[in-house]
Amino acid sequence: MEIKTGFTGLLHSRKFHYSLVAVAFVAVLPLFVRSEYVLGHVFTVMLIFAIYASSWNLLAYSGQGSLGHAAFLGIGGFASALLAVRTGLPPIVGLLLGSFFSAGIGFLIGLACVRLKAWFLAMVTFGFSVIAVTVVSQFDAFFGGMIGFPTPTIVPQVLPFYYATLAIATLSIGVIFLVMKSKLGLAFKAIRENELEAKMIGINTGKYRLIAFVISTFFAGLAGGLYAESILFIQISIFEPYYSFLPLIMAVIGGLGTMEGPVIGSIIIVSIDSFLPLTDKYLSPLGSIFPGVSNVGPPFRLIGLGIFLILVVIFIPKGISSLLHKVYDYLREDTSKAKKIEKA
Amino acid sequence: MITPSGLAETLLWGIANGCIYILLATGLNIIFGVMKLVNFAHGQLLMVGAFVAYEVTKIAGLNPYLSIFVAMGSVALIGIGLEMFAFRRVRGTEKLNEIFISLGLIYVFENVAALFWERNYNIRIPSPLAGLSLSLGEVTIGYDQTLTMLIMIMILVGLVLLTKKTKIGLAMRATSQKSDTAMLMGININKVYILTFALGAALAGAAGALYGILFPFNPTIGALPTIKAFAIIILGGLGSIPGAVIGGLLYGIAENTAVYLLGGIWQDAVAFALLIGVLVIRPTGIFGEKGD
Repeated sequence: MEIKTGFTGLLHSRKFHYSLVAVAFVAVLPLFVRSEYVLGHVFTVMLIFAIYASSWNLLAYSGQGSLGHAAFLGIGGFASALLAVRTGLPPIVGLLLGSFFSAGIGFLIGLACVRLKAWFLAMVTFGFSVIAVTVVSQFDAFFGGMIGFPTPTIVPQVLPFYYATLAIATLSIGVIFLVMKSKLGLAFKAIRENELEAKMIGINTGKYRLIAFVISTFFAGLAGGLYAESILFIQISIFEPYYSFLPLIMAVIGGLGTMEGPVIGSIIIVSIDSFLPLTDKYLSPLGSIFPGVSNVGPPFRLIGLGIFLILVVIFIPKGISSLLHKVYDYLREDTSKAKKIEKA
Repeated sequence: MITPSGLAETLLWGIANGCIYILLATGLNIIFGVMKLVNFAHGQLLMVGAFVAYEVTKIAGLNPYLSIFVAMGSVALIGIGLEMFAFRRVRGTEKLNEIFISLGLIYVFENVAALFWERNYNIRIPSPLAGLSLSLGEVTIGYDQTLTMLIMIMILVGLVLLTKKTKIGLAMRATSQKSDTAMLMGININKVYILTFALGAALAGAAGALYGILFPFNPTIGALPTIKAFAIIILGGLGSIPGAVIGGLLYGIAENTAVYLLGGIWQDAVAFALLIGVLVIRPTGIFGEKGD
């Protein structure tokens, strides 16, 4: 078997084939799932957060863990929504411009961050998300974020928007994957493993870290714009730390530094968020133990999520996707063994 | 109206707030210095400390200032549990794993607290000195604030004595310099780590009890103090206690001045802008020698 490299190699790789199958599967899902709620608020949101988590994942791939990515989600969301509402631009142009605006701000923040070490960077990004929320609430007359406002969508909800999101998500995750596999991604990886050594072999670490920042914030902004459109509404709550931690949790649970990890993480977390509230009524007997808590469901869910995250980090540090790889390898080994036995 | 006496008062109250941050930052700094561990859930320990002090004051009728010790002890126990069952498991792996674990802990702590204390939203530990203030000419400062400063100084003096004058402190300093060599010299690293984490957590517990006396609190207050404590460490330099003190005072003053001059909503933003500014000019902090 010849070894294929570069772009053609990618086209022949197993990963590419499985991705095609996955996209095709998502594309035919609406045939089986008729519920508008599930399509519009679960599957679409899964796709959007898959972009968002992938954008965070790319930044982490270059060794930079952001704790304030919600700032870029929010900037992208507000910029694209405001552009579409105020200037009457078509929403798709607003979405693109909003993403570029987010990348522009990302460039400026990235400039401040390129020299910082892991936790310093985490601090600065978190600090920036706090500053962003303050600015948006201070100039409320301009942003209108306190009460929020409805956002126009690029295509009508639910089904057309679902397919538009699928196309954008496929493209975005594909681009992020190609970046990770390209020479650029190799530089990111070198910086993550050892910044000093990367510098010594001639990688301009500052430049590459900045590139990672800009690409990541572009897609975070894109996800923000899409998210605002998917819920038809944007409000200042999009800047909350919850949204900063979300892509991190998704990427870690799914598998850090892989293409499929953030997608798997997004599927798991959005499912938990959407379907577990249905079980809240079974928890109500516990309500008598905790008087004063009107619904014990949400805190229990979040405690579970926290414990789940800790257990994954301790016991499956490479994420759920590594488990899938193991299962796949195991099955393959089994079939190859079976073939050998047949031959014998 | 901006007056000189108003400004002086802002400064003084800022210093009092800074004291809480100093305690928190020092705890974080010890843990980082000895264990090279980054615990983003440190502020949640402060929150737990505040609630423990509140319950002890309410149920046992203890003086709030004595309840600080109970808060320190119980939060130290929690800290030991965290070190043994969570952070020890990822020691020596990638640095990001510690951040992920502490993020999981944030979710656990905040929501367990929400289950127990949701109905006590924005409570305060009832201090017998509440509302009383000391006046120095035109400037007044609350008795609670004054006591906070004194307690902070006492705790820090105790801490310095512990690290500089005792055998345990020697072991901690040795471990912080080079853990492998310390192990070869017969120091039980695991014990030192447990003790260090307990000590850092106890400081967070004390900070929590003081926080609960000065400010209203609820299960979600932990996040911002953590970040502020990190900011102080960055300002003051990693692993340096005097640096943390100066950083904490600067931070408390900057924050309070921002509230005085610009209004309450800018409190956090201005402080973070200051931090980002410092980091851009000096990526290793004002007093930091090296960033790692």
